[in-house]
Amino acid sequence: MDSDGLGDVLDLSKDRSQNQEQRTDMKNKGVYIYQPAKSGKPSGERPSKRRKVSSTNITKEASETEGFVPLLNGDENPECVQLRYNTYKQLWAEQEDRIQVILEDVDAGVLKDVSSFVRETSPETSNGCIPTALVTVGSNVSSLSRLLSRLNDQLKSTNEGGVVVLESGDAPNLKTSLKNIIRAAVTNTEGTDGYQRFLTDRTGPRILGYDLDLLHDYVQRRGTKKLVLALRDSEAFDPGLLTDLFSLFKSWLDRIPFTVLLGISTSVEIFEGRLPRACVAMLQGQHFEVQEAGNCVDRIYEALQTSSDGKMWVGRNITSTLFEKASDYFQTPEAFSRMVKYACMSHFFANPLAVLLGNPDPSILNQNRFCEAIRNLPSFRMFCEDLLEVGSANEARSMIEDDDYLLRAAFDHVNAGQEIMRRIFSAVLLIHTCLQHTQASKKTPVSDISVRALSGELSESPLVEDMLTTLKTLDSEKLGDVLITLPTLAEGSPLTDIQADLKTLLETNSDSLPLRSEYNVNSSVVKTTVVQQRVLLTKGKANLREQDIEYTRIIDRLVSALQVHFAETLIRPQELFMHEAFLFDLRNPLKETFTPRPRFAIERALTSPFDYLMSTITPDAKISAKQPAAAILYQLYLESGALVNVHDLWQAFYGVYQRDENNKCDDRVVMALFYGALSDLKMFGMVKNSRKKTDHLAKSSWMGM
Amino acid sequence: MQPTEIARSLSAQWPCRDVQTRQLACLLHPHLPSPPTLVVHGVSATCKSTIISGVLSALETPHAIVRSSECITGRHLLTKILWNTLEAFGQKDEWEKFGKGRCEHVSTLAVLLEECLAARPVEKRGKFVLVLDEIDRQREASPTLLSALARLGELIPSLCVVLVLSSTPRPLFLQNAAVPHISFPPYTRKEAIEILMSSPIPNIEGVPTETISRIYPHFVATIYDTLVGPTAGSIPSFRSICDRLWPQFIAPLVQGETPPGGNTEWDFARLLVKNRQLFRHQGESALVHRIVPETSYTPTERFRKPLAPTAAPSALPSLPYFSTLILTSAYVASHTPQRLDTIFFSKFSSSSLSARNKRAHHRRRLKVLSQAQAEERQQAANNDPSTPNKKGKRVKTRITKSTLSSAFATSSATTSAIGGAGGITGPSTILTARPFPLERLLAIYHAIDPNPPANPIRTGAVADQIYAELATLRRLRLVVPASGHHNGLASTTSGNTSADAGEKWCVNVSGDWIGELAKGIGVEVGEWLAGGLD
Repeated sequence: MDSDGLGDVLDLSKDRSQNQEQRTDMKNKGVYIYQPAKSGKPSGERPSKRRKVSSTNITKEASETEGFVPLLNGDENPECVQLRYNTYKQLWAEQEDRIQVILEDVDAGVLKDVSSFVRETSPETSNGCIPTALVTVGSNVSSLSRLLSRLNDQLKSTNEGGVVVLESGDAPNLKTSLKNIIRAAVTNTEGTDGYQRFLTDRTGPRILGYDLDLLHDYVQRRGTKKLVLALRDSEAFDPGLLTDLFSLFKSWLDRIPFTVLLGISTSVEIFEGRLPRACVAMLQGQHFEVQEAGNCVDRIYEALQTSSDGKMWVGRNITSTLFEKASDYFQTPEAFSRMVKYACMSHFFANPLAVLLGNPDPSILNQNRFCEAIRNLPSFRMFCEDLLEVGSANEARSMIEDDDYLLRAAFDHVNAGQEIMRRIFSAVLLIHTCLQHTQASKKTPVSDISVRALSGELSESPLVEDMLTTLKTLDSEKLGDVLITLPTLAEGSPLTDIQADLKTLLETNSDSLPLRSEYNVNSSVVKTTVVQQRVLLTKGKANLREQDIEYTRIIDRLVSALQVHFAETLIRPQELFMHEAFLFDLRNPLKETFTPRPRFAIERALTSPFDYLMSTITPDAKISAKQPAAAILYQLYLESGALVNVHDLWQAFYGVYQRDENNKCDDRVVMALFYGALSDLKMFGMVKNSRKKTDHLAKSSWMGM
Repeated sequence: MQPTEIARSLSAQWPCRDVQTRQLACLLHPHLPSPPTLVVHGVSATCKSTIISGVLSALETPHAIVRSSECITGRHLLTKILWNTLEAFGQKDEWEKFGKGRCEHVSTLAVLLEECLAARPVEKRGKFVLVLDEIDRQREASPTLLSALARLGELIPSLCVVLVLSSTPRPLFLQNAAVPHISFPPYTRKEAIEILMSSPIPNIEGVPTETISRIYPHFVATIYDTLVGPTAGSIPSFRSICDRLWPQFIAPLVQGETPPGGNTEWDFARLLVKNRQLFRHQGESALVHRIVPETSYTPTERFRKPLAPTAAPSALPSLPYFSTLILTSAYVASHTPQRLDTIFFSKFSSSSLSARNKRAHHRRRLKVLSQAQAEERQQAANNDPSTPNKKGKRVKTRITKSTLSSAFATSSATTSAIGGAGGITGPSTILTARPFPLERLLAIYHAIDPNPPANPIRTGAVADQIYAELATLRRLRLVVPASGHHNGLASTTSGNTSADAGEKWCVNVSGDWIGELAKGIGVEVGEWLAGGLD
């Protein structure tokens, strides 16, 4: 999977580099056949044999550097390429572990419930019906397979039985589904060879593959106590088939200990409503709910971005793209992490500066080219301008002229920048924890806060201001809670002092708790005065107690400390020198890769074929005979209404050729082209025969939908 | 053992089946001649199989029982018959002698069975009974299977074939006269109550036994009269309803409430009056089996909120934004006549007052039409119950008034189609969900999009994204290809997600839920539907 994904990216880039070299070649060629390079193998080598383990190892080692190509116009040192690749590998391995931990943690609760349900129920406890666990997964479709594999491991390890997973694709009819169930159940514990042996090594007549006697035999031999049959996408099964299956299971229930587990993506009511009553009557059980995908995605994002040893971050464009995708489409947490992985990979793949994240020895860099690359960065220019503004012209000059000096500065700034990013995200976490206390109803997720922080707007955002205002009104008990949960700020911050002061204050005034600040609603009083038959309301401060005033002072200190801290840490990451090395924020490869547009491409190819085919002749008219016949016909087709007379179409088509060839074209050849083009369009599903009029074609697709 | 003795011994365990037991015992007695074929029929849960196996084991007649519901094909059934026969004789190890344990045709079966029976040791030769349970439900059975099996007994003298049917047999369905039939009729009221009373009365702590034994018979009879009798319920459902409702019925007594009317003791009538609500709410839901049983109220809980409805349905699922919008467009596309597309969805006139008036006019007209049609249909159905359903008709491409009205005639068909959700039903005035081509869905999507792109020319087409999401919706069976919707044949290829370009699609869920979903993303479905906003 991993190497494949890498291979795809690699191929594309190779094409691009080849393009540059062979541009002249391409121009004459027009069309070329795209030949993907075989991943991990030089093209000349014969295919490696399976048995020879040693030889595959060798090719594998060779492929590791092959994943990445030298950048900087091909002048990059191979060591750098290797280092970029290794850094990426190492970085992602760490992230992947984190994601796995989160995914397992999310499922843990449901897994416990489901496994205890499976262990505790039996046909006797469910009125003779098949024990059924309904698991609603919502749009978090993949979680069920994780859950099932872990349940299977549990059951297998205790020798209680196993889980048979059936997908709608495996169940076209009753016979095949039974065959698949039996095979899956046996291979689950015995392996594929075991299944074959199981079929052949039995006394007695040969049993057909779909006979549940086989399963009965197996259950008796293994002493299976629980055989869980899981339908991953229950809605996609044919209801009639389900009824047949369940009636079979029910009649075998006294011999084979079935438990059915149904994964449902809509709701129990809708699912139940689609089944016949007779089928529902055979099932009884419980309903479990898996956590929504959105929550999971938020946690993954938090773990990836805010870890204390992070080296590389994704910027706000990517973050918003990722979350848009997660909220608008059916998307699994795995798909989310794959997108992040792709972003991370493209950073290391295409950015020569990414090598700095691997702490390289300056000697392996191709200093000349590398420094040139740095000097071309927008952030370098900004940095130099800033240097000039503060009047250190010498420094700016040496940045531009002295390669060694520049490299040293770059290294320093990458490290410093990474530190700043870490602090930004720790501030994000801090705000998030505070918001947990101050926001009553709707909790802002980390992703929202991160987007604002990444665009440098967080410290002045209304979100933070609201938070600070609410913080002021808290009484001493709640404030104590907040302070305990707050992560420690940078060293030497006044927060620890504030905490200590609050503690002493509370200890001395333990009899008059809770303390309220002057900002609290309870501390202000409303005075009513009647002046000339009008009621005037004036708000005034109540007389505060001594300790309350003291408390107000502490709160003021806390709020101002936080404000200072936010103003210091929450800067725009785009202003940092060398931020290109550790912040990846290009929206495009990600968006293009994950939303392919085949229909758009086909339509474009047909309407303006020279976008794809190279032509030396610049056509004067929009439609010309130089274009492929299908493209000509398609453009004529676009001009017509919902019904097209075939003869009219033919006339127009012929007209195009006639105009271009000066009445000298062979109409039989054109007719052949017309037929070919028409059948192409038919194959695309764009026209079909009309039933209303015999000699007409009906249009069945419109452009630009 | 004499047939009467057997009947007596069995009726202790399975009451009210004396006649049938005696008949079976006479016909299957090992020392009396038997008919070659015997048909036992009766609806499900009338104790057919149990009585037969009970009689056979009591008589100690050698027999084999094959459950036809466990056989996948006709061939499987024949093989099973052979094996079970061999097993009954203890000859299972000698399977190779008899067609190598394989049996592909009924004629082979006749030969093999005869060999089997002949191979028995001399002292064991006698009558052999072969019971084929639920043989009328056999999957993939050839049309001649039943009559062929019935003839086995004639070919093999010592064999008696018992066919157990759960449907009422047609006359001469075995192509053979004079086959004895034994009918297992459904239990009458008296019998059903007797059966229930024969099991021990559930004991409840804190209540004297004599009070319970006084009230319980009345309670059982009431349950039968109110819930089980009118719905033709079976004994198991009768029993489960009684078990479920009894603790709640008796709850006022257990809690030690004072009976009304100054009496010192509860009697049945007072309990019944007290529990009127119980029968209305709990009773009716008790009739419907649910996969997840509703949590029954403990007496204390019920006491606090006596009028609380049954457990609230779990929250309806929500879909991602984009999918919701596609589903909504599919729903609207399915429920708007194509003829009216320009009026409902055209962007050119959407804001003008006249367009809105036109829309409202059409909505009202369609609604009136549908109501009139529905009434007419109902009357027709009352007069002649065998009125053929018009659903089978091919949907005409041209929408005339007659096609429209015939579409209305099958009103509320969204719910009557395969996707009809029990709990959630749409308003009955809405048209049948009708198939639509994919391009129409795309066009309607653009029309109802609540957040249209600011510059539609420059933003990329969304069709490709729609296809991807549509595939997911199809997996969830919210939107299905139209061919599967109509004859149910395509649905056998479940899980297949490939689609043809010109293929038509159809929405497969009810309106209320989609309406709710659409409201969540800012689309008012009623605005686009016939009879939607009135």
